[in-house]
Amino acid sequence: MFGLTEDDFDVNAVIDRVRKPDMGALVTFLGTVRDDGGTEVMELEAYEEVAVRELETIRDEAFARYPIAAVEVIHRVGRLRVGENILLIVVGAGHRKEAFDACEYILERIKESVPIWKKEIGEGGERWVPGESHGGDA
Amino acid sequence: MQVRVRAFARLREAIGGDLTLEVPEGATMSRLLAAVGETSEQAGEALFEESGELRGYVILMHNGRRVRRAEAGTLTLADGDEVALFPPVAGG
Repeated sequence: MFGLTEDDFDVNAVIDRVRKPDMGALVTFLGTVRDDGGTEVMELEAYEEVAVRELETIRDEAFARYPIAAVEVIHRVGRLRVGENILLIVVGAGHRKEAFDACEYILERIKESVPIWKKEIGEGGERWVPGESHGGDA
Repeated sequence: MQVRVRAFARLREAIGGDLTLEVPEGATMSRLLAAVGETSEQAGEALFEESGELRGYVILMHNGRRVRRAEAGTLTLADGDEVALFPPVAGG
């Protein structure tokens, strides 16, 4: 699967779907809900149609830039507890270097341009996690 | 004509959720933003500086495509368009 989901995912099952005998490297990034000083719950909100389209664009960019063989991206939305999975990126390639580089590229591009927001909720109240980027054309 | 307004994260909270606004034929993005700001004091404060300028963190989309702030005054909207307003993204 590729895109947004409210449901948790099985990391090994996703890797198994991606792996092929000609891949010598499967680089996986797993982002989780961090306890940022009392966080109990995180609410993730997305502009879904645009977010999915943007994820597809980023995947296509990664294929154009790096000699990789497969990309899977799953980003969760909804209400998550501390420690739960948020984001899974799996990149399969012949060799490690391009797999690492493409995985990092995809992650940074997601943070830069996919319309998803996070609100941390804990004992001390709630706060929207500040965005890192204005997307370049403010 | 009617334009659908979608807002996300703290802008959604300030505006109170998605809206469908009636605006004059040929209204620009700027005209629509003013109309959104007029729906409530909270919405106005979230979108505009005291000077009336659009706040720096507001990102604009028109039918799913980014709109530069400088284009808001000239971009004309059509009946059934969707405009989205949101702060900088924070996924990943």
